Amino acid sequence: MLAETASTVLAARGLTVASPGGRAVVDGADLDLRSGEIVGLTGPSGAGKSTLAFALLGLARAPFSLAGGQVLIGGRDLLSLPEEAARAVRGRDIGLIVQNPRAALHPMLDVGRQIGRIWRTHTGGDARAARDRAVEMLRLVGINDPDRRAAAFAHELSGGMAQRVLIAAALAADPAILVADEPTSGLDVTVQAQFLDMMWRAAKDRGTAMLLVTQEPGVLANYCDRVLTMEAGRIVADRPTRAHFAGRAVTARATIRSLPEAAAAPVVTAVSLSKRFPLRDGKAVHAVDDLTLSIRPGEAVGLVGESGSGKTTAGRCLLRLIEPTAGRVTLAGRDLSTLSAGDLRRLRAKAQIVRQDPFDSFDPRWRLGRSLREPLDVHRPDMDAVAKAARVAELIRLVGCEPAVAEARPRDLAAGMLQRLAIARALATEPAFIVLDEPTSVLTPDARREIVALLRRLQDELGVAYLFISHDLTTVAALCHRVVVMYLGQIVEEGTTAAIFDDPRHPYTRALIAAHLDEDPANRRVDRPQPDRVEGEIPSPIDLPTGCYLASRCPMALDRCGTERQALAPLAGDRTVRCWRAAELDTDNEVRHAL
Amino acid sequence: MIGRFVVRRIGVAIVQLAVLAVAVFFLIRLLPADPVARFVGLNATPEAYAAAKANLGLDRPLTEQFAAFLGLAGDGRVPGLLQGGLGVSWVSGAPVAAEVAAYLPVTLELIGLAFLVAILVGVPVGAWGALKPGGAADKGTLVYGLFAGSQPEFTWGIVFIFVFFVGLGIAPGPLGRLSPLTEPPDAITGAMTVDALLAGRPDLFLEALHYLMLPVLTLAFVLSGPIIKMVRENTGAALLSEHVLYARAAGLPARVVARDALRAAFAPSMTLIGVLFGFMLGGAVLVESMFSLGGLGQYAIRSILAFDYPAIQGVVLVISAISLAVYLILDVAHAMLDPRVTL
Repeated sequence: MLAETASTVLAARGLTVASPGGRAVVDGADLDLRSGEIVGLTGPSGAGKSTLAFALLGLARAPFSLAGGQVLIGGRDLLSLPEEAARAVRGRDIGLIVQNPRAALHPMLDVGRQIGRIWRTHTGGDARAARDRAVEMLRLVGINDPDRRAAAFAHELSGGMAQRVLIAAALAADPAILVADEPTSGLDVTVQAQFLDMMWRAAKDRGTAMLLVTQEPGVLANYCDRVLTMEAGRIVADRPTRAHFAGRAVTARATIRSLPEAAAAPVVTAVSLSKRFPLRDGKAVHAVDDLTLSIRPGEAVGLVGESGSGKTTAGRCLLRLIEPTAGRVTLAGRDLSTLSAGDLRRLRAKAQIVRQDPFDSFDPRWRLGRSLREPLDVHRPDMDAVAKAARVAELIRLVGCEPAVAEARPRDLAAGMLQRLAIARALATEPAFIVLDEPTSVLTPDARREIVALLRRLQDELGVAYLFISHDLTTVAALCHRVVVMYLGQIVEEGTTAAIFDDPRHPYTRALIAAHLDEDPANRRVDRPQPDRVEGEIPSPIDLPTGCYLASRCPMALDRCGTERQALAPLAGDRTVRCWRAAELDTDNEVRHAL
Repeated sequence: MIGRFVVRRIGVAIVQLAVLAVAVFFLIRLLPADPVARFVGLNATPEAYAAAKANLGLDRPLTEQFAAFLGLAGDGRVPGLLQGGLGVSWVSGAPVAAEVAAYLPVTLELIGLAFLVAILVGVPVGAWGALKPGGAADKGTLVYGLFAGSQPEFTWGIVFIFVFFVGLGIAPGPLGRLSPLTEPPDAITGAMTVDALLAGRPDLFLEALHYLMLPVLTLAFVLSGPIIKMVRENTGAALLSEHVLYARAAGLPARVVARDALRAAFAPSMTLIGVLFGFMLGGAVLVESMFSLGGLGQYAIRSILAFDYPAIQGVVLVISAISLAVYLILDVAHAMLDPRVTL
């Protein structure tokens, strides 16, 4: 491989970062970065990955401080250089891309100025040249209309756009080393794929050495040449990517669940559900548009799509947590829209929700036992204190926790454990239907797998129906029987999990699946052509496109797509697709299968 | 955008002032006080009492009095609120509007200079304390905070008079705005320093500044406390922010990083400055009285003690209007500084 012969551009030796109490947060880390090589740095939360990444630039986030070791760049130790010389190395020789790009940009300066001044600092150009350079860099990282975007402020950018700005800033002075600290956390899969492809190309074309901090096995498998594993402040493994994944079962996709047998009546049905949020100037945000959906008892339906596609709003409308603008929802045979406030409150026992961040959904001051008892206090006046305590203990056991957690407070537990208890609380009133709104997206990959296993077991035991909202296709594939794909408030494709994942028809679904990163280093995304990709980002839900909503980003778009709204139409094999060209793919596939 | 915002806010301010005018008018009359007795004295005959009452217009029903206050009824001798008048002072017999116009500039001059001094001292000291935690500025701030914030203006005023006038003899006595022997310049704006300059008298300008030295010092001394604290906190938070860490990682020079942090820290401080303004008006009342400056604060106290209803109403309305104007100016300035704020 290239890595064997390439020169080492950064070497860290015995790098140590300490907390004010003297505890080593990064403990004697040794690592080498070679030109043209992408090195992954992974490990559980709190292992010290980010701290190590910052330490490579000779920086430590307060209250930590650098406590020892060397960072050799171009034969000089960055840590023993005088501050002014060390400063000049940062940004010129080693660039940084951070996890939260919007927070990293100054809120009161336009982004063109921020990119330009970094370049200016390291090259000594004048202000006009810096502006030109900023616009050039924005164009290079694929931002449309870079002249206008250069005048934008951080809060006016989407997360994906802000991350591109940071790359533009990092690449402006053309450093030989790039450190990227979880650069794609918080980005949608299609944007994540665009971003990582760009980084990969930058590394390979320019010979940049890159350290990529990530917890995602899919990112490691697809983009990294080598993987460093960190645990409790120490680098415990340094292996080529294939060796890192060797021995793991490469389950590109978990076993797909078959549909529950009984064709029972749906537990929840939505017909032509729409939600518009009016704006001041008479326009409206079209969050959900004509959504029709039904879920049967014991069935898990996945709702996928990018941020801004209306998934969360759809889930909340189904529970009438927010009032739909139009349409009807039937839950357990009763029309939610006509219920009185009192009846609706009683029916809430049958329909529950689990939200994304468990730390937000529990009262931080309450012991968890009290939080778990609360739904019983509200909905079960017939139960006495003893019965409630018994039910709480039963719920805790049900989600596989120790009874002692009833005495704990939220901050005493890890996010994964707390999310289990959030699920237990949702189950307290024996609901028939639960909306799971991104319940795994703030969790580590391991905790995510455990939650999915738990949800599968609970569904098998209790027969509860799920609407599982997520942008993480791996968990959707592992949990759901059916998948609904949303784009800009509309359903664009619906079908069984097998149909959607193995043979997606809508161009957007195809792009979503193609952007998904399998945990398989033998089948890397960067090694194969990518015909199914959508460019750019989701359009504004205020000024909707006139034709098909995807037309501006679609690789299959023809003139007709720009003018003609698309309708959801059934296709062979129990699925519906919102694309007039979807049927063509059918014949494509037949040809392909025939060959 | 900003123009529309300003127009809307002025509209809202007019409504606020109208409500305030009504409230003040009636609330003041709910007081268990007898202004007539105050004017005629305890030994007046019933006839003299009734005559005084009729003279003040207090014999008429409340609605009629209110109509006269607004300028809708009455003899037309005195312009009402709708004609831009504030009535006639019961004590002096002069129009309240004219009296306020004479006293207000003194207060504005005092507050303006104190504000300037407090900001010129407070912002650098606060920023310095944040940039060098534990340094001299930081420690000094702590000690200063313990003293300045813990004592009201009149304590410091007396201490300063004792130290700088009685002790060191470098400040004039608390006798007003100029030496009693000096012929004041023509009152054009009412602010002594400005009038001295307009009259082409730099000697008077310096004398006026000299006489303002202790009042301004007193007010600024107390006011710097919250300003230093606020700048210190906001700058400290900005220095710990992601964007400052990123700016350092990008290799930007230390002075650029410090400027970034200050810029981010200053915008949210604007809101607090508005709050401080109200706080300062209260402080000005005490300081004016202590140094015999004859400002609006002193006028307000005199009017309250004399039950001079028209004067009290006038002072309340004028001070409210000024406060609303200050808030508006600060909001516009904040929006111009910070692109995240939309008006």
